[in-house]
Amino acid sequence: MSDELNSTAEEAAQRQVRVQLTSKQEDVALPENTGPILVPTGLRRYALSTLVNNLLGSEKPVPFEFLINGTFLRTSIDEYLTANGISAETTLEIEYVRALIPPLHIASFEHDDWVSATDVLSEASPAASWASGAKFSKGQERILSGSYDGLLRIWNMSSEIIATSPGPSEGGHTASIKAAKFVSPNQIATAGLDRTVRLWKYTEDESDFSGKVTPQLELYGHKSGVDSLAVHAPSNRLLTGSSDHTVGFWSTKKADAPAAPENLLSSGHGRNSKRRKMNTSVSTAQRGPLALMSGHTGPVSAAIFDAKDSTVGYSASWDHSLRTWDLVTGSLVDTRTTSHSLLSLEHLPEHNLLAAGTSARHITLIDPRASATTVAAMTLRGHTNAVVSLARDPHSAYGLISGSHDGTCRIWDIRSTKTDKDGVVGESVYSIARKSIEEEGKADSKRVGGEGVKVFSVCWDPAIGIVSAGEDKRIQINRGEGVLSSTKQ
Amino acid sequence: MVARTASKKRKAVTRDVEEEAGVFSGDELSAENLDGTLSDNANDLSESEDDDSDDSEVELVDEFSDDDDEDGEEELDSDEIPSDDDLKTLPSTDEPNVRIVKDANGNDRYLYDEINPDDNSDFSEAEDNANTIGDIPLTFYDQYPHIGYDINGKKIMRPAKGEALDALLDSIEIPKGWTGLTDPSTGKPLNLTQKELELLKKVQMNEITSEGYDQYEPLVEYFSGEQEIMPLSAAPEPKRRFVPSKHEAKRVMKIVKAIREGRIQPYKAPEEREEEDDDLINYDLWADEAERPDHIMHIPAPKLPPPGYEESYHPPAEYLPDKKERKEWEQTDPEDREKDFLPNDFGSLRRVPGYESYVQEKFERCLDLYLAPRVRRSKLNIDPESLLPKLPSPEELKPFPTTCATVFRGHKGRVRSLNVDPTGIWLATGGDDGTVRVWEILTGRQLWSAKVSDEDAVNVVRWRPGKDAVVLAAAAGDDIFLAVPPIADPEIEKASLDLLDAGWGYAASAPAPVGVEANKVNKPVSWIRPSSALADAGICVVIPLRYVPKSISWHRRGDYFVTVCSGASTPASVAISIHTVSKHLTQFPFRRRLKGGGPPQTAHFHPSKPILFVANQRSIRAYDLSRQLLVKILQPGARWISSFDIHPTSSTASGGDNIIVGSYDRRLLWHDLDLSQRPYKTLRYHRKAIRAVKFHQGGRYPLFADASDDGSLQIFHGSVTGDMLSNASIVPLKVLKGHKITGELGVLDIDWHPREAWCVSAGADGTCRLWM
Repeated sequence: MSDELNSTAEEAAQRQVRVQLTSKQEDVALPENTGPILVPTGLRRYALSTLVNNLLGSEKPVPFEFLINGTFLRTSIDEYLTANGISAETTLEIEYVRALIPPLHIASFEHDDWVSATDVLSEASPAASWASGAKFSKGQERILSGSYDGLLRIWNMSSEIIATSPGPSEGGHTASIKAAKFVSPNQIATAGLDRTVRLWKYTEDESDFSGKVTPQLELYGHKSGVDSLAVHAPSNRLLTGSSDHTVGFWSTKKADAPAAPENLLSSGHGRNSKRRKMNTSVSTAQRGPLALMSGHTGPVSAAIFDAKDSTVGYSASWDHSLRTWDLVTGSLVDTRTTSHSLLSLEHLPEHNLLAAGTSARHITLIDPRASATTVAAMTLRGHTNAVVSLARDPHSAYGLISGSHDGTCRIWDIRSTKTDKDGVVGESVYSIARKSIEEEGKADSKRVGGEGVKVFSVCWDPAIGIVSAGEDKRIQINRGEGVLSSTKQ
Repeated sequence: MVARTASKKRKAVTRDVEEEAGVFSGDELSAENLDGTLSDNANDLSESEDDDSDDSEVELVDEFSDDDDEDGEEELDSDEIPSDDDLKTLPSTDEPNVRIVKDANGNDRYLYDEINPDDNSDFSEAEDNANTIGDIPLTFYDQYPHIGYDINGKKIMRPAKGEALDALLDSIEIPKGWTGLTDPSTGKPLNLTQKELELLKKVQMNEITSEGYDQYEPLVEYFSGEQEIMPLSAAPEPKRRFVPSKHEAKRVMKIVKAIREGRIQPYKAPEEREEEDDDLINYDLWADEAERPDHIMHIPAPKLPPPGYEESYHPPAEYLPDKKERKEWEQTDPEDREKDFLPNDFGSLRRVPGYESYVQEKFERCLDLYLAPRVRRSKLNIDPESLLPKLPSPEELKPFPTTCATVFRGHKGRVRSLNVDPTGIWLATGGDDGTVRVWEILTGRQLWSAKVSDEDAVNVVRWRPGKDAVVLAAAAGDDIFLAVPPIADPEIEKASLDLLDAGWGYAASAPAPVGVEANKVNKPVSWIRPSSALADAGICVVIPLRYVPKSISWHRRGDYFVTVCSGASTPASVAISIHTVSKHLTQFPFRRRLKGGGPPQTAHFHPSKPILFVANQRSIRAYDLSRQLLVKILQPGARWISSFDIHPTSSTASGGDNIIVGSYDRRLLWHDLDLSQRPYKTLRYHRKAIRAVKFHQGGRYPLFADASDDGSLQIFHGSVTGDMLSNASIVPLKVLKGHKITGELGVLDIDWHPREAWCVSAGADGTCRLWM
């Protein structure tokens, strides 16, 4: 009571509020429960962060972010209280988390042509975690890149190419690769504009400096370029989205897969001798799809497995719709129609949300469950061009990274929101520009339509960092140092 | 008197029509100013002109010189109104009527004036009692008993003078007519007859003396405007009444000349000279006052309203206050009163008393002006926004393209044409570098390129509609190329190749039509196989047209396309050609040039009906292909049409066809074919020529766009409603800028994505852009 009397006496000078500081991250949790602390309401994030560091007694200050009722504190406490109509006499529950460190540029891997797809192989990557048989040794991180020149490249962290896929004459892609994924440390799946999905066997020497990519399986079925590829290794299944408006469901096992449709094999009626020559010096097994699910009325831009249930697939299309598929029967379960073309898709399983990047320069979060009443739960705005790639934050259930044609990757935290006239709108936490612009010395100049720096693919791995591929013919790796330290490697 | 009447009569007969004469009556012309100038003029003229100057001119001068001695004949010839002067001046009697002249022998000879037989002034009837002594005063005979002599020489005795008694007697019985006067000529008492007395009486009373004379008898109009049944003269009217008078014309000319030369001045009212007092100095306060510019701080005093009935000195009764009102008025504070006066009836103006509070009121008004700040009040309290038509906000009409999403860079030189393929994944472009390229629309990746011409630019590229085959038609130079770009799966690619190859056999087997063969100009166009280099690049068919096609438009079925060679040198018979893909056949449907408006510019098939629209420079004609007749002519009113497009769904949505037309004179015109052949709406927003216009083809979004040489695209929302009652509403949405102007050219072509609200534009700066 005396405290309160005190506070009223000093109110003219400084209003105070009682806060309860908690953290779910154990390494930075307060040693003993301090109970409510009386703090001036004028404090902002930085002052609170200093306070927590003092309480922890840490030698090196750790930047913290503060969450009140699930949203980041972006103003002073006083303004927050006023904005939300909370009395200063209540005790505020403030949760603090480590602040994201701005990701720093680590390396760029130069390519001969535009890089359309990228994936990583590391200890924490899905491909490694699925692979029960093949041991993944530490320090053997690999970066996969698929390029518009039709070649697949595998890099180690020292920016050396360990392996390159064979060219079209030796059973490689005859057109640009649009998607590439590790199925396991020894297997790679790619898809491209030549309408095929290909599986490759990847082997490495003991020396770790050379490897080999050999074609394993060619999957025919799509009638137009395949834009997206999703892998579920435990069930040996692939999911592809194609411009021919269908979603393909494939098996990675040669034995499981049905025969390839004859009419789609290009060898039969090559128009000119040149192309015929390009074909088949190496004969690869050709197979067809388990199912081609049609329902979309526009090119399918993304197809993913449900993160928890591999029998459920989601697909996003230019026809503005997001569809849920039952992969066992190959039937359409649900259709959610938005108002823009969807170009990318990612599942946030903890929140039962699907994040979809649109051509209208934003990311909408969609609840795919049938019980959801609203189509779009939240909109993340900030990009200036189409959002074509999405990846989850490996550290946080709330984090998301997006790659866009505007030449940036943006890190989002769905707790960092503000309420706009359009509803709840998220703001990006960080924006990663392309290093190539900085090297050209034109960091300030804005590229119209992201010309020359479009990001086509982005991938976030806890060990390697943020890997993004783009029109500037390079793979760029960014990493937040703090993020790394928090994982305690 | 007889002479006078006679002369009058004569004149009446011989004179010209009175009105005419009246115009130039001597009275008017003999005014001081005119007279001199005119006669001067006449003299001048007669001096300067030839000898044959007309007599009449001289006459004119004579007349004005007031000569009395004109004879009758001159009068007859003259058009003048004869003056009455000649009648006034009879020769005086005092003058001797004899002149003495010398005869042949030198003796005096007496020449007597001729005796005027009418002049009877010398003869008077001798009265009975008149004195005959002659003109001798009576006083000469005062000492004689007689007073004169009669004609026989006998003395005329003085009349006996009456005695006083006689006089008395006479006075007692006054004889009739006695006057008491003596006749001076006879010396007898003057007696007046009754008649004479009455005459005298009348003279005294200022009455008219003659009996029975009616002073006011009705006027007999001898000369009136009325036409008599029986004319005074039966003589036929003289010719001169019908021929225009030369003389008059001359006089008029003279006057006209005089006016022109300024010798006759029109009458001017004498200037009213204000009597200026030189000593008095007048100060003009406002002499050098300039017009005040309109300024926010300058607020003119407001106008007082005009007085109403209640302010009248004699208002109608209903305006007069009753007692209650009066009391109420008196009780309220002067400041709170609605009016500062009470209506009052004074009956008449002279009863109105002086205004007692005049000074007070003026003082207060001055105080108001001095103390109260005044506010400018606009009279019309209308929000100007409300006058504008209600347009939906662009936010509500989303989606529409707003930003540049992709730049397609690769062409060297201008990109002349582009087209999005029916699936919406690929973009075809053609440019000045002679290449046809196919791009991935979203990423801007070039997938295929074919160099179809080394020197000629690719003027136009168009995909064949329909998803069953992938065929790209491109026109470069004189040739049209049909290509199958390697972007489709083998099945569709084979179908496309089969589609193009099917016609070879047909073209080879079908005999050339005789009629066309006869016509040397219209030599049939044979489709040929491309060179091996082109064939490797993906070109399947080449159509050599001999003239440069600038426009290609496919029929929706994909079997026909129409090309237009818009060059001025192209013969009209081969300017428009329709090509049949399945038969490899090229036909020229038009023999003659379209009337009015130069060579044809572009042509399109109707999206659903068998109608071909052909535009030349100023008009668009719609031809029904099945009935082969002209259906409609549109007159957009543009000087030079660059492009047009037909609304894709308009005909199915029960409304009429809607067409947008772009013109080089910067106009975008919306035509509703049901309304009129004139544009329903004209949009003039561009600063430079409009190169291309395009509707969104999918019908999903009611959007259309135009591309202009000023480097910008403009996006419009133009929704066509199904019912006939409401017209299309057009809302400008967005100006898309980004293309650089290169060599006076900006954006050359435009196309829409078939499904999305995305549009692509081809620029003269060598880039294409995707906007979304």
